[in-house]
Amino acid sequence: MITRFITEVSTVFNPFSPKAKTARLFLSFLPPDARQTMKVSTKLLPRISKDPSFVQLKFRDGKEMKLDTEKLGIKGVMEEVDRHSRILSRQEELTGN
Amino acid sequence: MPPRILPPSKAITSILRCKRSVRFQRQYATAAAVTPAVSHDQMTKGSPPIVRYPSTQPPSYKPPEFRKSQLLRQYASLIRSTPLMLLFQHNNLKSTEWVGIRRELTNALRKVDEARVAAGHPPTENIGDAIKIQIIQTGILQSALKIVDFYKPELEAQQLDPTGPATPSSTLIPSSSPDGSIATHVLSEAAHTATKRRSHPLDPLLSGPLALLTFPQVSPQHLKAALSILSPVPGQFPAPTRRANPGWHDMAVQTGLQKLLLLGARVEGKVFDVEGTKWVGSIEGGLEGLQGQLVAMLQGIGAGLTTTLDSSAKSLYFTVEGRRTMLEDKEKGTSGEKAEGPKV
Repeated sequence: MITRFITEVSTVFNPFSPKAKTARLFLSFLPPDARQTMKVSTKLLPRISKDPSFVQLKFRDGKEMKLDTEKLGIKGVMEEVDRHSRILSRQEELTGN
Repeated sequence: MPPRILPPSKAITSILRCKRSVRFQRQYATAAAVTPAVSHDQMTKGSPPIVRYPSTQPPSYKPPEFRKSQLLRQYASLIRSTPLMLLFQHNNLKSTEWVGIRRELTNALRKVDEARVAAGHPPTENIGDAIKIQIIQTGILQSALKIVDFYKPELEAQQLDPTGPATPSSTLIPSSSPDGSIATHVLSEAAHTATKRRSHPLDPLLSGPLALLTFPQVSPQHLKAALSILSPVPGQFPAPTRRANPGWHDMAVQTGLQKLLLLGARVEGKVFDVEGTKWVGSIEGGLEGLQGQLVAMLQGIGAGLTTTLDSSAKSLYFTVEGRRTMLEDKEKGTSGEKAEGPKV
């Protein structure tokens, strides 16, 4: 997963819900030094809560993306993030960094 | 020509007889006509059946030399010996960050132990050294939890008929057969099939990279110290100040702690979420305090019960007494009037 264009990550999930697996896995895919370049905030919902889990991202060019992790699996989330990151990396290449 | 070697003794002959071919057997048949005498013990008590596997390595469902088999045994032992266990998700922490976090945790727990010793508890009860945070393989922990919580073979009845032909021996055999087909240890096939399709209440938490913080006893004081270091909550589990603990504010420790996420806990077999874990940590006075509160409550219940039972009788007595006094007063009043009446 290309993460160098992400500036902010915010996740909300109920750890006792089986549908929260995607959000948790997304957090585990962030590289070890990522937290120095981006702000990561995690909110845990209480055990009985039925609120949907989601991941909200902000990119370097200002684009905001809110992904419903209950419908998309981890593959879907990574695909969306990578798609936009690849666009940004193409722009970066063309403008000569 | 007769053999130059001396014929072996009777005991060795009987062992060799099975291995020798028929030709030699005939030569020794006359010399070894008597089987060796069994010991008195063997004659009076039945002998246990021949085991076809070493007692130190009973048959295992998966090969025992695999790392995962040994991890399963380790995790089963860990689950059985630690009634309090916190689950954290660890997201790519570096080794320097782990070093820093473990250092801070050890220091904080040591302080709790020293405070306990200073308050008068014996130093043999210190559990700070036995509390550790370790990364675990999630899938294997899942299997180990199921085996520990759901597979209880000693409760299953022994189904050996002493007169049945299939029973190998009438001696008291532990719940396992000589060829290992009904072994009951953690790695056995019986344990695997009994727990294969069960689902454990902790299952939703068991996904992704996990680390466990294990306590050999449920000690709210140690839990409070650990939570202040690992996932502080302002007010309830305050983070150490820069002056009191400059090491905690190290770059490595802080970045590491950002990547640790408390998910829940397993306390004495029950699953608690983050709120429940905080509640356990905020119990005042530790286990001794809880026990003292329980004793006081039980004593109070006894006193309260007697008071309640007495109350109806007492109220009846007071009512009757009050009525009697009132009647007596009335009589005195009327007799006084009567006494005064004739005078007038």
